[in-house]
Amino acid sequence: MNQTALEFSKPTERNISDDPLNDPNYKTVGEVTVPNAAMTTKNVDVHYGDKQAIFNVSLDVGRNEVLAMIGPSGCGKSTFIRCLNRMNDTIDICRIKGDIRLDGEDIYSRNMDVVLLRARVGMVFQKPNPFPKSVYDNVAYGVNLHGLSNNKSELDDIVEDALKRAGLWDEVSDRLNQPGTGLSGGQQQRLCIARAIAISPEIILMDEPCSALDPIATAKIEELIDELSQRYSICIVTHSMQQAARVSQRTAYFHLGKLIEVGATDIIFTNPSHRLTEGYITGRFG
Amino acid sequence: MNQVALIQRGLARRYRSEKRFKAYGLTAIVSGVTFLVFLLGTTFLNGYTALLQTYIAVDVTILDSDFDGGLSQESLSKSDYPGIIKRSLREAFPEVTKRKEKSELYRLISSGAQYDLREKVIDNPELVGQTTTFWLLADDEVDVYMKGRIDPAVPEKNRRLKNRSIAWIEQLRDQGRIERNFNILFFTNGDSREPEQAGILGAVMGSVFTILVTMLLAFPIGVAAAIYLQEFARKNRFTDLIEVNINNLAAVPSIIFGLLGLAIFLNFFHMPRSIPLVGGMVLALMTLPTIIISSRAALGAVPPSIREAALGVGASPVQTVLHHVLPLAMPGMLTGTIIGLAQALGETAPLLVIGMVAFIVDIPGSPMDPGTALPVQIYLWADSPERAFVERTSAAIMVLLLFLIAINGLIVLLRKKFERRW
Repeated sequence: MNQTALEFSKPTERNISDDPLNDPNYKTVGEVTVPNAAMTTKNVDVHYGDKQAIFNVSLDVGRNEVLAMIGPSGCGKSTFIRCLNRMNDTIDICRIKGDIRLDGEDIYSRNMDVVLLRARVGMVFQKPNPFPKSVYDNVAYGVNLHGLSNNKSELDDIVEDALKRAGLWDEVSDRLNQPGTGLSGGQQQRLCIARAIAISPEIILMDEPCSALDPIATAKIEELIDELSQRYSICIVTHSMQQAARVSQRTAYFHLGKLIEVGATDIIFTNPSHRLTEGYITGRFG
Repeated sequence: MNQVALIQRGLARRYRSEKRFKAYGLTAIVSGVTFLVFLLGTTFLNGYTALLQTYIAVDVTILDSDFDGGLSQESLSKSDYPGIIKRSLREAFPEVTKRKEKSELYRLISSGAQYDLREKVIDNPELVGQTTTFWLLADDEVDVYMKGRIDPAVPEKNRRLKNRSIAWIEQLRDQGRIERNFNILFFTNGDSREPEQAGILGAVMGSVFTILVTMLLAFPIGVAAAIYLQEFARKNRFTDLIEVNINNLAAVPSIIFGLLGLAIFLNFFHMPRSIPLVGGMVLALMTLPTIIISSRAALGAVPPSIREAALGVGASPVQTVLHHVLPLAMPGMLTGTIIGLAQALGETAPLLVIGMVAFIVDIPGSPMDPGTALPVQIYLWADSPERAFVERTSAAIMVLLLFLIAINGLIVLLRKKFERRW
């Protein structure tokens, strides 16, 4: 898709592989680890059948940090984020190698319960996908599932709190019993966020949460991500570089299944080290 | 030629083909509706007369001497009621004296009338020693004549009802002693060799039990199999093989399932013949592929985003299916069940093979009692020579259709209950 990207080169003093796409030992530019990480991944390979989708990616998610993953379509960023709460388990042909740890626990080990993992690592999807149930039931579902409330009033409080933190309470407080699918797209996505945070996860994964939304709804979600980062670690996959620049502290650039470069967001966007990163953020391809 | 003119030239042709296509569709629908109306119309016209039955008023004199052992319950039930009716008929038509004529006269009244009379006398012994007017069940030939289906112009030797009988009937009609009433017997009796006593209830109960067994077996097994195959089973050669086989089984002729039932349930497990339980099991086998295929299609149509949403908040795979996927797939599953059960309800061949074609007068009270089913009853009556069975056959078809509508209505209601948007 981007042979042109390989044609221009950037003089650099650091040891950067000139051809990361064909170099099996390509090493990511920038610091992939962070101190006291919420989640660590090391040497992750993902295969779909015979096709390899992720090549040797190592990347840590820091506490209370918003980590943005950017890159052209098909670069594997969604595949990677779906490894973090084992959503890829549902795909029969998907095989994952490598070491992914949540608070030091290997999430792919036999001892890790996938239900518990997904309660600790929540997820918001690209397309808003509320259950065909009432607004209230959408938020209460996960809470009931994990038995996190002892009685109705406690549950009411949790639902209200989650909806408030998702910035949706004022809009839906008078129609909690109406179907969640009847809300607007932006409201539905915030409902999905409320559903995810109602069970108090440690990390929230967001897979292009705004790609189906208009700019106003997007602005609301971005504001929300800012607030949520006070309490949660957030991984967000996005196609919008402006969005990555606005909401994240760290940015990771993926390209054809490889993690090319990781760094503080302001540096990635102002002074990227790798020519592929630069090519992408300056809009030469993507 | 410029582009607009080119497109315009093509437009006329496109509109013409559109109109033609519409006409094809309309023709198909109109002809389909015509056939349906014709079918239902003839069935109704043939069948509605079965709702009426002819009764003849006879002054029955019951003498004390008819009962040898006094008025005890036993002697009341043992008396010669056919004799009483015959005597009463002779009294009503004193001019009939010849032996042959007499027996023709007796045939005006159904042989079933004696049971009715006996019941009345047992219930009310005061009738003994009195002359009472009873409306007695008329013979089927009389009934058919009263319904205008016997043409007196036909040469006498070509009809079972002779001129003499017709004269008597007309005489009775003039006296107001013959009339048609609602045919309650048709809905309360089991099968009979005598058309005027034959009823549909035995077949209805047989069908109810059969379909109940079919539904109770086929729906849960079919849905469970579909859920497992669609949601949990790994895709490999073995599941592919199972899938191909299920699809093939849906196309196997029903009589083969009947033979399978005969070989396994009757010959191997030695289950009784002719019982709705076995019939239901055989029909369940036949219905399963239909239910599994449509249930899998319904499960497959549930958007994957719902599964992801449920898994994403930490629902286990089983919870995901039970809480979210199954409710959304339920309407589609029920549609498949309707199709399967409708098929099963109208199925005759497999029931013939396992013996549900036997002539059974008793009304089955449980799935373990011998019985028959509505389509088999229709087959049996359609096969009978008596004229009066023609209308009963049509009436039975109407009952079968009503039965079908009732089942469909029930499932449509269930569908409505489960239907939700996402």
